[in-house]
Amino acid sequence: MWHRLGHWLLPVLILVAFGGVWQLIALFYPPALFPGPTATIEALIEVAINGTLWSNTWISLVRFFTGYGLALLIAIPLGLLFGCVGFLRRLFDPLIQVLRPISPIAWSPLAVLWFGIGSAPAIYIIFLACFFPMLLTTITAVKSVPAVYLKVARNFGVGSGMTVLLVILPAAFPGIMSGLHIAVGTGWIHLVAGEMLGAQSGLGYMIVDARNFLRTDMIMAGMLVIGVLGLGIYRGMRALEDLIGRQWGIGV
Amino acid sequence: MSAIAAGPGDQLKPKIVATGLEKRYCSARGGETVAVMGVELSICAGEFVCLVGPSGCGKTTLIQMMCGFEPPSAGRVLIDGEPIQGPNPDHIMIFQDYGLFPWRTVLGNVVFGLEALGMSTPEAKARAHETLQLVGLSAAAHQHPHQISSGMKQRVAIARALAVEPSVLFMDEPFAALDAFTRLRLQDEILRLWEVKRTTVVFVTHDLDEAIALAQRVVLMASSPGRIQRVMTIGLPYPRERTHTDFSEYRRELFEAFHLLHATAANSAV
Ligand SMILES: Nc1ncnc2c1ncn2[C@@H]1O[C@H](COP(=O)(O)OP(=O)(O)OP(=O)(O)O)[C@@H](O)[C@H]1O
Ligand SMILES: [Mg+2]
Repeated sequence: MWHRLGHWLLPVLILVAFGGVWQLIALFYPPALFPGPTATIEALIEVAINGTLWSNTWISLVRFFTGYGLALLIAIPLGLLFGCVGFLRRLFDPLIQVLRPISPIAWSPLAVLWFGIGSAPAIYIIFLACFFPMLLTTITAVKSVPAVYLKVARNFGVGSGMTVLLVILPAAFPGIMSGLHIAVGTGWIHLVAGEMLGAQSGLGYMIVDARNFLRTDMIMAGMLVIGVLGLGIYRGMRALEDLIGRQWGIGV
Repeated sequence: MSAIAAGPGDQLKPKIVATGLEKRYCSARGGETVAVMGVELSICAGEFVCLVGPSGCGKTTLIQMMCGFEPPSAGRVLIDGEPIQGPNPDHIMIFQDYGLFPWRTVLGNVVFGLEALGMSTPEAKARAHETLQLVGLSAAAHQHPHQISSGMKQRVAIARALAVEPSVLFMDEPFAALDAFTRLRLQDEILRLWEVKRTTVVFVTHDLDEAIALAQRVVLMASSPGRIQRVMTIGLPYPRERTHTDFSEYRRELFEAFHLLHATAANSAV
């Protein structure tokens, strides 16, 4: 009982303490330079009432899931292919290793040149941020599928296509899932960067716009929303993972 | 050439025939290991044969070549007169670490093999239930592998194999990871299933008692290079009483044979 309470209570207390410290520091600075939590919440209420919070959140979520989904649709099949076919993997490994360390933000000038301004460059940046973690974890997950599973499949006369579907994909699933996890984090982090490329909507735009009007309280409000939504998406992902894990009997 | 082994019933038609079988592995440094050489072995249909020998003598290599997982470097294996090209659902291998799919239930694991043969799902499920009943696992049908004991896991693997009605079962130290009680129970179980199904069984073990309890013939292997040293026929009726004097007799003979092996190994090392 106390244990469970502590489980919930302590993290909440730490959040409250953080808010307290924040408020304390804010006392020493002019609010236009360093707004405290109360000013931030007030700004948040303001955008909630005038509706821009909801429309910007919505468009950001749409962009995020579009970029994330596109990355998933391309990275997972490609990862399965490279994981299964060592020959292809060795051919493409140098290319992947060269492209991977390039920050998605470094692509932003090109993204604007190619896709103009609006949703497309943001989606492209999110796509890039999600793609490599998904691809690399899928390759690793497929490579580490126990050889005995493949032997069993071969022994029972299962063809290679069906082996990928019935054995490799489910066996690699926990590993692939961890890649999807990492990609949620990196993708969401790059959302703001993507939306700063001239988009006229979204949470990133909300921050840029607030900067143009020197509304520091609004900048903080935007940051707060991004943080809380990130937590929400991460938790949702965990819940989904647990559900699938239970269904597949892998989550112990 | 001492090891051309004819079974107790050489009048029966041979099921598996290995001739001049050899396997060499090339090491990274360019050297070569001879894992198995000069294997001549003939196994009759419905026979129960155990391969025993010290670690590294090539038991796994030999059984993998017979099942078609490893191509031989020289020589060949015929099953039913046909050269082995690769693994085949008619000859199922059972592994020490079970090879069960953790994301499938016990039933789902047995169904896997049947559906791979192209059986429809309802038919496969019915057959899987039958086979699980045969190995006494009906109650666990809807559990996942991580929820059952290791002995039960190996019984699931056996059920999965038997469900597709293979004519040969290859087993590579299937009970080595089990505790003594479970191992004894599963030995009786596999004999019971063998008597029902009359499948040819090739069984690798390093447990000499297990070999005497199970096999009609025991193939004794020696290492460096891996080869067949001797083939011993166990003329005891089933079920075999492990505490019986006849059993001890075979046991002594087998122990002696391996002491002899130690002596030869020591001589060749000097
Ligand atoms: N893939 C491989 N590459 C190189 N050498 C191998 C390989 N597999 C087996 N060997 C070598 O072949 C020999 C026989 O190995 P094998 O695994 O068949 O022995 P074993 O009798 O099954 O031993 P154990 O009782 O420990 O399972 C060993 O010397 C081993 O090092
Ligand atoms: Mg072995």
